[in-house]
Amino acid sequence: MNTTSTARPGVLSGVRVLDFTWKTVGPWSTRLLTHYGAEVIHVERAGGWDDHRYNATPSIVTDEPKVAQTLGMKKVYSDPQFNTHRDESAAATERPKLYAAPYFNTLHNGKLAISLNTKSPEGLKIVERLIGMCDALVENFSAEVLPSWGLTWERLHAINPRLVYMSTSGFGHTGDWKTYRSYGPTAAAQSGLSLASGLPGKPPAGWGFSYLDVMGGWIGGLSLIQGLLQAKKTGEGCYIDYSVTEGAMSMLGTYMLDYQVNGRRTRRPDFPPGNRAVFPALAPHNTYRCAGRDRNDQDWWIFIACETQEQFEALCSVMEQPGLVLDTKFATNEARVTNQAELDQIISNWTRPRRRYDIMRKCQAVGIIAAVVQNAEDRVEYDPQLQHREVFPVIENPEVGGAFSYERYPVRLSRTPATVQTRAPVLAEHNQYVFGELLQMSEAEINSLRERGVI
Amino acid sequence: MTGVYEGLTVIELADRRNQWAGKLLSDGGARVIQVEPIAGSPGRWCGPFADDKPDPDLCIDYWWNNTGKQSAAVDVAQPAGRDLLKQLLAKADVFLESTPPGTLANLGLGYDAAASNRNLIYASLTDFGQDGPWRDYVANDVAHLALGGQMASSGYSDPKETPIGGKGHHAWHMGCAFMLHGITAALIERMGSGEGQFIDVSIHDACAIGTEAAVPQWMYYGSTMYRQTGMHANPKRQPPLQLPTADGKYMIAVMQNFGRPVWEKLIKWMDEKGVTGELHDPKYQDEAFRMSEYRTGNVIRDAIARLIAASDGEECFHRAQSYNISWGLVHAAEENYDVAHYRQRDYWRSIEHPRIGRAIPYPRGPFACDALGIEPRGRAPNLGEHTQHVLAHDLGMSADAIMALRTSGVVR
Repeated sequence: MNTTSTARPGVLSGVRVLDFTWKTVGPWSTRLLTHYGAEVIHVERAGGWDDHRYNATPSIVTDEPKVAQTLGMKKVYSDPQFNTHRDESAAATERPKLYAAPYFNTLHNGKLAISLNTKSPEGLKIVERLIGMCDALVENFSAEVLPSWGLTWERLHAINPRLVYMSTSGFGHTGDWKTYRSYGPTAAAQSGLSLASGLPGKPPAGWGFSYLDVMGGWIGGLSLIQGLLQAKKTGEGCYIDYSVTEGAMSMLGTYMLDYQVNGRRTRRPDFPPGNRAVFPALAPHNTYRCAGRDRNDQDWWIFIACETQEQFEALCSVMEQPGLVLDTKFATNEARVTNQAELDQIISNWTRPRRRYDIMRKCQAVGIIAAVVQNAEDRVEYDPQLQHREVFPVIENPEVGGAFSYERYPVRLSRTPATVQTRAPVLAEHNQYVFGELLQMSEAEINSLRERGVI
Repeated sequence: MTGVYEGLTVIELADRRNQWAGKLLSDGGARVIQVEPIAGSPGRWCGPFADDKPDPDLCIDYWWNNTGKQSAAVDVAQPAGRDLLKQLLAKADVFLESTPPGTLANLGLGYDAAASNRNLIYASLTDFGQDGPWRDYVANDVAHLALGGQMASSGYSDPKETPIGGKGHHAWHMGCAFMLHGITAALIERMGSGEGQFIDVSIHDACAIGTEAAVPQWMYYGSTMYRQTGMHANPKRQPPLQLPTADGKYMIAVMQNFGRPVWEKLIKWMDEKGVTGELHDPKYQDEAFRMSEYRTGNVIRDAIARLIAASDGEECFHRAQSYNISWGLVHAAEENYDVAHYRQRDYWRSIEHPRIGRAIPYPRGPFACDALGIEPRGRAPNLGEHTQHVLAHDLGMSADAIMALRTSGVVR
């Protein structure tokens, strides 16, 4: 296994992070640091593994996944609507064993992995030694876990005064709800985010990509970079108590202030307004059904919006209904908002038999906001912009028998690029490096720890 | 009060896309000078407005996204205005801008021109990035949620219903989060090298990787997601998890823990409500059976739905949580003001608003951390409130020169 140096280029090269996170939101936050070259040591409990390695969802569980079929990225920009069968010839005939489930590979790429029994006194001693060698410590346990190991902030700070400690939790580590448990959708519900998504008069639609498991991690990762900056400036570490729910509420400030100032609630009959625009009120501003369906038999849709009179006039021309703009019901934005149900029907009649990417191209060519509702297939296979910007790079991993596609880290720095460094680690892949090289344990010590289940 | 961005000067070219990033820089202690058009940032005109009166100084969305900033109203379309911006950039640490690619280069304000200030971190947050076939396409927040895949995963189980892009400008938030990563990383790097750099963040790139398992699901298994009401999109249709309560609210009721202590408490609660049904059958004593039944069957799920239908939302939330069950209640954002927990965590910051004659409690921000010190430090500026100060203090201009610029409409 890997016993060589893990030094990687980047702004955070030389920064070492001890990562006790699991599931989704925490791992995202530490993964971000790997793109800047930080050495992130992901700790899994000895004898077990992170849930996402073998996610219980049947569709994810397999050690025989299809080989990524995006190799070469040579798909042309065409509407898959009338070409729904996939080019199976691109699939390799060999199917290498995957060392981790796809989502684990996505969330943990670039990290190191060790196993450790933190319930044993010996294991905890190792944790303390590692803390002394790290710049940051991250966990997304419940509030009581780290203190139950004796690792209060005071203790952590005493072991390593420069340590940045970030805890990610649903509700924070103080207050009445500090022991409450949460995952992304819990926090989305409690914060008010879920209620801000949906059609009026219907149940909340929520955020089906689990926004807070994703964005929660990105914001957590931000706090880590900020903490590292502050520690570098002051020489002092800090404790960041990050509540994902509070983070979500910090993206809903407008609604909260509107309530304070105007008494307007988000729990009201005409809110949320679907895909229509309220502030400012604009029409058209909605999704419209197009020709065809996806492979799950869901209709295909396009989003169209006109923010200016010129855009609406252009839309009338594209739809070959120039008379619309003269109709008093649609002549001004104000009139269009009043009559938007009727306008939406007119636009929908136009889009319904048409192909979504054709509509988008035609509208964008004359400056109208038009956006295909793209799913993952669309983005990976057909989106020419994402292909141009190499948002889904392919990395060869010969040692585990395959090449895999990854999601790029979307910050382009001109002098010090941030990149996807390498695949996710296999279970305990870096025990030798961390225990042998970093902690200078002998072969015999390591074997003894292994036999006793400490690692 | 200290802050992670203390001592920095940020020039922000007013735009709705980047203002939240500028806000967090300002909240973290940076001096953020927002250079706005004479008529005000587009962010001042979207509403909602205090008392619903359109007024650039009363826009609540602007208030929220521009806490603590300074406003200099400068017409950069005029050569004299451009020159003022150039002078400001010569002294700045960070330039945050969201103009369509090429716009500033055409005005002589591209990175190459601004980089004579070697310190400068030039941060461009744009819809599609600085290059590529869609570079000049137009978009707004919801358009990004469409193209980025958020909408394809959000909406209703009813296949006839539209995909939904949630409200609150979250595509812009996602772009801003990455831009803040980039700026902060560049600040760390600058401490060693003494040099700034150019940062290109595309909101579309950011959204495109922000759909949780959807992309790996496609890459590895060739399957796409079903939208499901109020819950995760999934490659297979699943039973509902967003369940109505007795008082007309909704619980997000995911069961992840089927251990004995949790199960016994749950059954006792169901007994109280008289909804247990067949769950007393001895076969449910086996944890593995419970897990498998929950995953593939309807008996436990139906009982949970009956339990929630027989309980009020707040009761459900607190009781479930006290049993270590991570259920959540769908709150409205404004209802969080009534929650003691957030008060105990010192979550609200009182910001004075002279125009309405009172202070308003603002959310603190995502982090409880004194060392980072990221929280609103003052209200958003009125349009052009700091023009005089910036021109006189930062650029050393005389009162006469400033008056001349005002008269000719270069500044306000």
